Amino acid sequence: MVKDGDYVAIFNSVHRVMEAERLLKDKHLKILLIPAPRALAADCGLAIRYAGEVRSEVEGALAEAGLLPRDLYRKSGEAFEKIEGEL
Amino acid sequence: MNSLDVRGMACPLPVVSVKRALESAEGELRVLLDDGAPRENVRRFAEGRGYRVQEEPLEGAFAFTISGAAKKPEVAASERAGATVMLIGTDRMGDGPEELGRLLMKNFIITLVELPELPDRILFINTGVLLTAAGSEVIEALEALGNRGVEVLSCGICLDFFKKKESLAAGGVTNMFTIAESLLQARSVVRL
Repeated sequence: MVKDGDYVAIFNSVHRVMEAERLLKDKHLKILLIPAPRALAADCGLAIRYAGEVRSEVEGALAEAGLLPRDLYRKSGEAFEKIEGEL
Repeated sequence: MNSLDVRGMACPLPVVSVKRALESAEGELRVLLDDGAPRENVRRFAEGRGYRVQEEPLEGAFAFTISGAAKKPEVAASERAGATVMLIGTDRMGDGPEELGRLLMKNFIITLVELPELPDRILFINTGVLLTAAGSEVIEALEALGNRGVEVLSCGICLDFFKKKESLAAGGVTNMFTIAESLLQARSVVRL
């Protein structure tokens, strides 16, 4: 469900992730709420997946609404690279 | 050759009639049937039982020549002993707030893709069919399950009821005959 190069945003509560999903969908951004991949620790077990093309729009919208994720990862081959300090 | 005309019959009568005819007939069976669900369901039913189906388009209908007696006509391949059937009768998981229920169901189906052991067949009925129709967020996951050999089937009556017949986006259409048979012949049924 997560392709190479996709971003996976992890939130620290189910309410935040649901709110983020609603916000991004209202903006018609191509995102998908997914179960957080096992390799990534997530308190609520949920994550939002999006492709690189919409990254700036997604993160811009989340920042504006005060809904930035706790952690952000990018799928690279079989692994997830943590994106540090860019949010 | 025996012949049978199931044109104009409502689901699941075409499959029921073909099943009876195949059980009593020797040799080939020629069936005249309508396009759409009857054509798909009868083909799936016959091929699932090991028959060969040759199709011939006619004006406004189709003719199937069904031949080659199945080795075990009483048990379809997908309904063999040991089959695990999942029945999804809702677009929500559990009782509680609607939004949470939808999220959990979506999460459940996407999680299945990651698991090593999968059901042989997933049957979607009632509001469950909203998950297989266009606009659902689990189409990608259902396609991935289909590619791993899971048979994804939606109840035709239900699609019709929700006016989603034309927008089925994952798997095939089935009828109550197949649903009932699958449930009765499965070794285990997981109901959501």
